[in-house]
Amino acid sequence: MSEVTPTKTLDVCGKICPYPDMNTMTTLKKMEKGEVLEVLLDYPLSVERIPRNLKKQGHKLIEVEQLDGPNHRMLIEAHGLK
Amino acid sequence: MEAVLTGLFVGVLFGFVLQRGRFCMNSAFRDAILLQDNVLLKTVFAALLVELVGFAIMDAAGAIAINPKPFWWGANLLGSFVFGIGMVLAGGCASGITYRTGEGMVGSMTAVLGLATAGFFTAAGFLKPFKANLQAATTVSGADGKALTLHGILGMDYTTLALILALIAVVVWYFIAKSKKDEYEADPGWGWLNTGILVGLVGILAFPLSAAAGRNYPLGITAGWIGVVKKILNFSEVSMGWLSWMVIGIIVGGFIAALISKEFKFRAPKPLVMLQTFVGGLLMGFGAVTSGGCNIGHLLSGIPQLSLGSILAGVSIVLGAWAASYVMFILPQKKDQ
Repeated sequence: MSEVTPTKTLDVCGKICPYPDMNTMTTLKKMEKGEVLEVLLDYPLSVERIPRNLKKQGHKLIEVEQLDGPNHRMLIEAHGLK
Repeated sequence: MEAVLTGLFVGVLFGFVLQRGRFCMNSAFRDAILLQDNVLLKTVFAALLVELVGFAIMDAAGAIAINPKPFWWGANLLGSFVFGIGMVLAGGCASGITYRTGEGMVGSMTAVLGLATAGFFTAAGFLKPFKANLQAATTVSGADGKALTLHGILGMDYTTLALILALIAVVVWYFIAKSKKDEYEADPGWGWLNTGILVGLVGILAFPLSAAAGRNYPLGITAGWIGVVKKILNFSEVSMGWLSWMVIGIIVGGFIAALISKEFKFRAPKPLVMLQTFVGGLLMGFGAVTSGGCNIGHLLSGIPQLSLGSILAGVSIVLGAWAASYVMFILPQKKDQ
């Protein structure tokens, strides 16, 4: 568990493909540089796909943690495109 | 008995590979335009290439006799386009929603229900005349009366052309890969190439085993689900074939893989989303049966056999998926900005 305190939390559990990715990206777009987004998700494909697409937008993945079953917690530092 | 054992065996392997490799053609085609993410697309190409070489060698060695699907352009175009739209609504291709059923995703289960229902009504119910007429009216066969294929049109031997195409693909791929650095250095999963090769190998293994059980074709999904529906509706008279056992195997394989990676859990989206995936499934079932195959029957299994119908269906599936993705995801984003 990281010491970083998230600025904002996004819960996309139960969402179908590709909403976990899309909602994460749109939320990050609206955040200031350096702010941290916590994403809660339970869709395994997105757990692998979000990290590889973050970089293209300049965001930084801080960590991914598997909680209970498919539930994951992801911490992302926004690049600040706003 | 053979159909039960080898069908289940191939299905479990396939389901396991699909789940661990995150293989999904809906994501592959949609992500290329929506997220500019080509990882799964590369996986699809790798699987096709492995099958192309495998089928070519096995056909020449007499281990299989290729059985390309017919070319009925109207049915291929319409059916596969509708299928492509359906899989975007369903949030997964025919194989994707099947293995995710094994992961416990309820939204995929409702999609499978739609696929099986509409597939059944198009194959054997009230939509059968429409499908049959469209297929009959737009069928074009080769001069020898056989299904139109690339090798048939060029007057070439299947194995020779398949190996030439594979070689060209490898060379082209090499130069494309060389010209741009790989954007994704750290891939947390199996990696696109490993997944692609494994999916291709399952397809190669499926062909002779399915043929030995009396069904001369490699992998498929939709017809397998229809077989399950028929069995449920008429359980004393019909026995389930190889493909139906394979489809059940995919769920088992996906379930086992999800258990091992601690990813199994029953999880459901909102009721309205479940309705959406059900409607998506309906479109997929209608489209697949009309066109004569889904993304697995046509794209994964038919294109390596160089069937012209499967190639057209494959293109149409991609176009349908892109059209739906544009309307559902890209247009709303543009309006937002």
